[in-house]
Amino acid sequence: MSSKFNKELEELARDQVISSEIADKISLYYDQKQAAKPNRLFTIFGVFGALLVGSGIILMLAHNWDDFSRITKTILAFIPLFIGQCAAGFSILKNKARTWKEASGTFLFFAVGASISLVSQIYNISGDLGSFLRTWTILCLPLIYLLRSHAVALLVILSSTYYATEVGLWNYKSNETPWLYVGFVLAIIPNYWVLVKNSLLSNTTTIFSWIVPVSITVGLAAFVKGNEELGFVMYMTLFGIFYNIGRLLVFRELRTLRNGHLIIGSLGTIILLMIFTFRWPWEEMYDTTIYRSQEFYTSLALGVVAISILGYTVIKKGIRSINSFQVSFLIFWGLFFLLSGMSTVPMILTNILVFVLGITAIKIGADTFNFGILNYGLLIVSILIICRFFDTDMSFVIRGLLFVIVGVGFFITNYRMLKRQQKKLIH
Amino acid sequence: MKIIYLFILFVIVALAQIFVPIQMVMDSEDAIISGEAYKFRTRPIDPTDPFRGKYITLQYEMNHFNTENSTYVVGEEIYIYLKNDSEGFAEVSQISKTPLQTEADYVTARVTYYYKGKVNFQLPFNTFYMEETKAYDAELAYNKVNRDSIPKNVYALVYINGDDVVLKDVFINDIPIQEYVEK
Repeated sequence: MSSKFNKELEELARDQVISSEIADKISLYYDQKQAAKPNRLFTIFGVFGALLVGSGIILMLAHNWDDFSRITKTILAFIPLFIGQCAAGFSILKNKARTWKEASGTFLFFAVGASISLVSQIYNISGDLGSFLRTWTILCLPLIYLLRSHAVALLVILSSTYYATEVGLWNYKSNETPWLYVGFVLAIIPNYWVLVKNSLLSNTTTIFSWIVPVSITVGLAAFVKGNEELGFVMYMTLFGIFYNIGRLLVFRELRTLRNGHLIIGSLGTIILLMIFTFRWPWEEMYDTTIYRSQEFYTSLALGVVAISILGYTVIKKGIRSINSFQVSFLIFWGLFFLLSGMSTVPMILTNILVFVLGITAIKIGADTFNFGILNYGLLIVSILIICRFFDTDMSFVIRGLLFVIVGVGFFITNYRMLKRQQKKLIH
Repeated sequence: MKIIYLFILFVIVALAQIFVPIQMVMDSEDAIISGEAYKFRTRPIDPTDPFRGKYITLQYEMNHFNTENSTYVVGEEIYIYLKNDSEGFAEVSQISKTPLQTEADYVTARVTYYYKGKVNFQLPFNTFYMEETKAYDAELAYNKVNRDSIPKNVYALVYINGDDVVLKDVFINDIPIQEYVEK
């Protein structure tokens, strides 16, 4: 137990808040609880050790010794792979502890990549990076489930995201779409789901709750080819999916900061909508909607997923539980596909939508006594007002007055909430 | 799941992990043993091109083909059919978007741009790995010899067998670049 906690216990016993027997009992209880836990630090160092040893061996082989024959070099290239496979196979067969599985999985992940790239080096196979990352990810994906390794899952997410961006974004010489990335994400989800079900409040789950939506947000950009306008619809729908996932019942006990889906979904929705509160995106949008394109079908597929999750929430929690963030992607679909011929009407409607979202956030914050969400709502409304300063001809007096009103609003809302919270505490 | 099933599945995955690099080795060895050898003339590369690790970057004189077909798109993979010129160096006989029914050897390349009947492409075997201590000297030597006015003294020896292409060596004045650097 931490020394600080023990000191507090001693103090409580000294001041006779609790008896010394109870203090001993509490101390014993936490000591036993601690001992039952697997040593997490040991696992982390195991993974780091595997990382360092693995990359060390790879670097030594990458020296590309001229004195060795081609056959010797080739055999050497396979050695890390064999070591990694023996370690991983051993930890599966003997059902070793978490530390073993995580460390051997991490080492094997890098050994697979190393053996392929070393062979490429020996035979001067230039091959493109995209196909290398694809092969690497496919060969290591099963390890997530065979070893139940979170470290490998994390590495696979990273490599598949790299694959998606390399093939779809960075490689200007290629015009492919990394469809396999969809498969990679689908293959990772069961592992994430088990984590959410079994240990929702653990740090590992939090890391995945952030890295999965971040990866998909980055990866989706690789699916936009040519029809950038529809890219906005794709992203808007994706953020709708994230926000709706974040609001699912399973995540209810999670603190907001640990809920990556909710935060990324909410921020993404607001940022995208904020762009569309200006007139110029709607003017440039005119009759550019192309219905027979990859982007449209992707949007449609995302839309089906988003609506399914929304429908599920409505059935489980009732229509009254739905807030305006959860449906804003649907409203955006309406504006984009039905009204994009015009520019003023959808612009005004988007302004109203963002304002409503701001008020919704303020209300959620006030209802749950969460100052973070409350001020987030106020920030949305303030940014909206500031944005409107750019494209309207108001006198400086009115602008100044508006700023003062917004500032005073910040003070009053926070002050009133503080008062309410204090009152609640007293009662 | 029972541990033994898990282990059997792991063995299958492990075999796949070994199979991929072994397949690469086999294909490359096969290309060297039974493939046709071609000499590709290199050309000077931009001297400001940064030195990239332990390999040298090669650029080939063979980088374009004149054609009437204007449907080539940047990034597209094309088939480049080869023949030898009178001095025994490789040259393009024809290019195609799809494999042709012919016995001639080919390499695949990506279109870098198309302008007025001229398709520019990049051959895929453009990196040559070296021992790290020699790579920098090799890059310098490669640049120096490629920029002097003596023609055709630098070339890459490439073995081609079906889809498999192996860049075996780079020669400067008919001496392998490793030995040339040591001199």
